[in-house]
Amino acid sequence: MLPQAYVETVATVTLYLPEPLRTYGGGIAELPVSAGTVQAVLDHLERTRPALYRNVCDETGAVRRHLNIFVNADHVRDLAGLDTMLRPGDVVTIVPAVSGG
Amino acid sequence: MSVADRVLLTIGTKKGVFVSDAPKTRRSFSLRGPFGPGVPVYSTLIDTRSSPRLYASSCNPFFGMKVLLSNDMGKSFKETKSAPAFPKDDGRALINIWSLEAGPGKKEVWCGVEPASLFRSHDGGNSWETVPGISNHEHARKWAPGNGGLCMHTIIRDGDRVHLGISTGGHYMSEDGGQTFRASNQGVGAGFQPDPYPEYGQCVHKIVRHDDAPGRLYMQNHGGWAEWTGPGGPRPDIGVLRSDDYGHSWRSIAKGLPSDFGFPIVVHPHDADTIYVMPLEPATRTCPGGAPAVWRSENGGDAWLRLAKGLPKKESYFTVLRDAMTIDTLKTPALYFGTTTGQLWIGRDGGETFECLFDSLPPIHNVKVAVV
Repeated sequence: MLPQAYVETVATVTLYLPEPLRTYGGGIAELPVSAGTVQAVLDHLERTRPALYRNVCDETGAVRRHLNIFVNADHVRDLAGLDTMLRPGDVVTIVPAVSGG
Repeated sequence: MSVADRVLLTIGTKKGVFVSDAPKTRRSFSLRGPFGPGVPVYSTLIDTRSSPRLYASSCNPFFGMKVLLSNDMGKSFKETKSAPAFPKDDGRALINIWSLEAGPGKKEVWCGVEPASLFRSHDGGNSWETVPGISNHEHARKWAPGNGGLCMHTIIRDGDRVHLGISTGGHYMSEDGGQTFRASNQGVGAGFQPDPYPEYGQCVHKIVRHDDAPGRLYMQNHGGWAEWTGPGGPRPDIGVLRSDDYGHSWRSIAKGLPSDFGFPIVVHPHDADTIYVMPLEPATRTCPGGAPAVWRSENGGDAWLRLAKGLPKKESYFTVLRDAMTIDTLKTPALYFGTTTGQLWIGRDGGETFECLFDSLPPIHNVKVAVV
């Protein structure tokens, strides 16, 4: 059972997937998720779409190093990290970092 | 020409895997690819036990490791249903896949990864399990990464014997089919710690064997420590080694080489006494004097001959990585090596004459060959 605080603040948000991840998300770009925090979004993925989750998080549950997660226009590192609270209508976006060569 | 008359190459690069093939004459090689999402491929496997199955690891820095599989001779690849992954409570996360080898079962595949561990698939790469005898070995949490990471790069099966090469961990062997493993590094030097001959922790670069010489193994170890003046003193010639007792002990065969540092070591398919290495300057890991050469021994390492006909004579500073040199199994075999500057070379007549097959590929990590 979820902690009471989470139950009270569960929101329906939109998870936006970058193109390379859509193969693992049934081909869709936007996924509606009911979750109170960014971590809860990831937990939802782990339960419902494990192949997609494995692309976002490693075996320890850590978000992969070269991925960034935004809530609306803000990087979660500038908010409360994976504990960032979500409000109805928020858009959670997973974006590969600009890196490589 | 039938399908059974072709030489097939897999070329793992920084930007995906390429496949090349040629008739047995090997006069002209085609090239297709790159396959995969443009990310590094450190290991490939051409599994010829039935219809050829081509495997390639795909080291995706964004979305994690994948295993790619081709059932159509490398015309297309698709992801297997899963890649190796540590159990959630293990605490380790997969960083790279360094070796793919055929296992004893019909569709069994073994996989060496970073951090150094061994995985096994019984269904052609769709599901994986850790091999606990080495992955959870009492030494496993004490191994340390080398410059390339903490990788299990060599898997050799010989009946119930299994030899593993780990950088840096050393040589580990099993004599019970992979149930249990022990470090077996007597005579294998280490240059980066005060103890020149530790029980484990050596930076082994590659190990090979030949069916015709039971008990014999050759190793390219991390050499280049002849000038070391610190604790433990200099340790010359620790880079190229041989075992004649199934890997229980090792002795140097590096005398006569311009450098005992290098990454690959290859054994001739029809002569267990003939071996090839690619000596490199230990500081830069590039061709000595800017003049690349393969060195061949035809007597098990007692003497070495420089092979450089057709290779650049100067101003060439590439590196040949541990899995980037191989040899085919035709009657007069050809040697192949790929460079970090993206050239794929063929050494015709066992390395007598070299020719550049492809000049501008991405940096090459891995080259495998099979006659199919």
